[in-house]
Amino acid sequence: MNGDFLSLLPKKETLPSVQTLSAPTHKSVELEATTVFAFHCAEGVLVAGDHRATAGNVVFSDRTEKIIELDRHSLMASAGSPATAVEMARTLQTAYEYYRRSQLQPMSLPAKMRALSRLLHENVAATLQGFGLVAPIFAGVDAITQKPAIYFYDPLGAHFEAAAYAGSGSGSGSIKSVLHFLEQWGNPKPANLALGAAVALANRLLMTASEFDTATGGVDPARNDFATIKLLSAQGIRSVTTAEQAEFWLEASR
Amino acid sequence: MTDEPYRWLEAVANRREYIRDQLKQATPVFAFSRPEGVLLYGVGSGQSKVFELYDRQAIAALGHPVDIEKVRQSLIEAAHLEGFTRSSEDVTLRRLINFSLGPLMKTNFEQIFGAPLIVIALLAEVGLTSAQDVLARVNFDGTHQFIAGGIAVAHADAQREQEAAQWLEAEVAADLSLKDVIARARQAWEKFGGVEGGLAGRVEEIGLLERRGTGRARYRTLDPQALL
Repeated sequence: MNGDFLSLLPKKETLPSVQTLSAPTHKSVELEATTVFAFHCAEGVLVAGDHRATAGNVVFSDRTEKIIELDRHSLMASAGSPATAVEMARTLQTAYEYYRRSQLQPMSLPAKMRALSRLLHENVAATLQGFGLVAPIFAGVDAITQKPAIYFYDPLGAHFEAAAYAGSGSGSGSIKSVLHFLEQWGNPKPANLALGAAVALANRLLMTASEFDTATGGVDPARNDFATIKLLSAQGIRSVTTAEQAEFWLEASR
Repeated sequence: MTDEPYRWLEAVANRREYIRDQLKQATPVFAFSRPEGVLLYGVGSGQSKVFELYDRQAIAALGHPVDIEKVRQSLIEAAHLEGFTRSSEDVTLRRLINFSLGPLMKTNFEQIFGAPLIVIALLAEVGLTSAQDVLARVNFDGTHQFIAGGIAVAHADAQREQEAAQWLEAEVAADLSLKDVIARARQAWEKFGGVEGGLAGRVEEIGLLERRGTGRARYRTLDPQALL
């Protein structure tokens, strides 16, 4: 009745994962794979990620989708345990739609963010055990201002708005450094780039990250291998196709 | 009372009569399977009658607004739990009616000490082709029919329901545009709705479950004014 899908799950005994684990270890919590990031550009928020999934030093997939559309106006870029991240995204997709249909209005952006916080908080035991760590980036459009915004989370569920950019995953350090540099001294700054230039920048950033992080899948324009890139704006979410990225790459290289 | 069969039967009969009496003021709702998708049409007087349920399912209902809301919430909850537990493809209208709504309404109807659900509903599901569309009419006592032919009517008066269905079957040709189908639905509502004053002071509600859509959710509302 109150539109909260998550509250239905325990009642119906369909809670997706076991949350009661034994005492946690004191191992440090670090992301050991993946690179996802988001930055403001002239046409909205651009969210990008690599395709690589690793287990230790083994690459077991170079076709992984890490940018997940939650509804028409929000998406999540996941870094960390894929099983947990995908389950969180699936739970949020259902929770947002359930709320919209049952309450006959879309869930507000703060409530959407809070729902992700709640899932991360409920995942703390698995995180501290060292196998369920997820540190996502969330991008959504505020229903009142109609402006897209970027938020990043710590693995315990705290969220923070990113004024210009956010990154997560083992390769995000170098990307955040470059984005910081460009925001401070770039001309134009990433926030002022048109879509084509922003897409080319995103691919170059991933190429840079993959130079220093083996767990980040690179971009190879010669093989038509580009990043996953989605643009979020007041109009909704637009996936930038491989063909478009190839075109933008050529334009930027001229 | 319940351990005396005759009195129980009498109570159920009284209940049926009471519900029919309550439904006398209700106006009909229609559903059409078309090439563009499944169209639902209803006319409300301050309360909505046409709603999205799940990715490919929708409902148009007549009756008490609070009871329509109970039915709607129950279906939405069942559909989302099933979609989450299994997948969205496993959420089908047949399963929702046979295993969720039908038993709920029958149980509610036969529990003679509780308030009955005063609702008659049309439920619709859009398929990949018109032949795969599903239309169903669910009665307040849980009985239901899956309707062939692509046109479904729910009316509180059985005679008028039959007349409206026959009229629409004759008027709504296969090649009619969506706009013209809506015009026929409007005419049918005015002709068989049994409401003095027609649409004046009332709100038309039109929902379309699109056959070809980009996302998973196929339901959208159509603005009647834009279609005039």
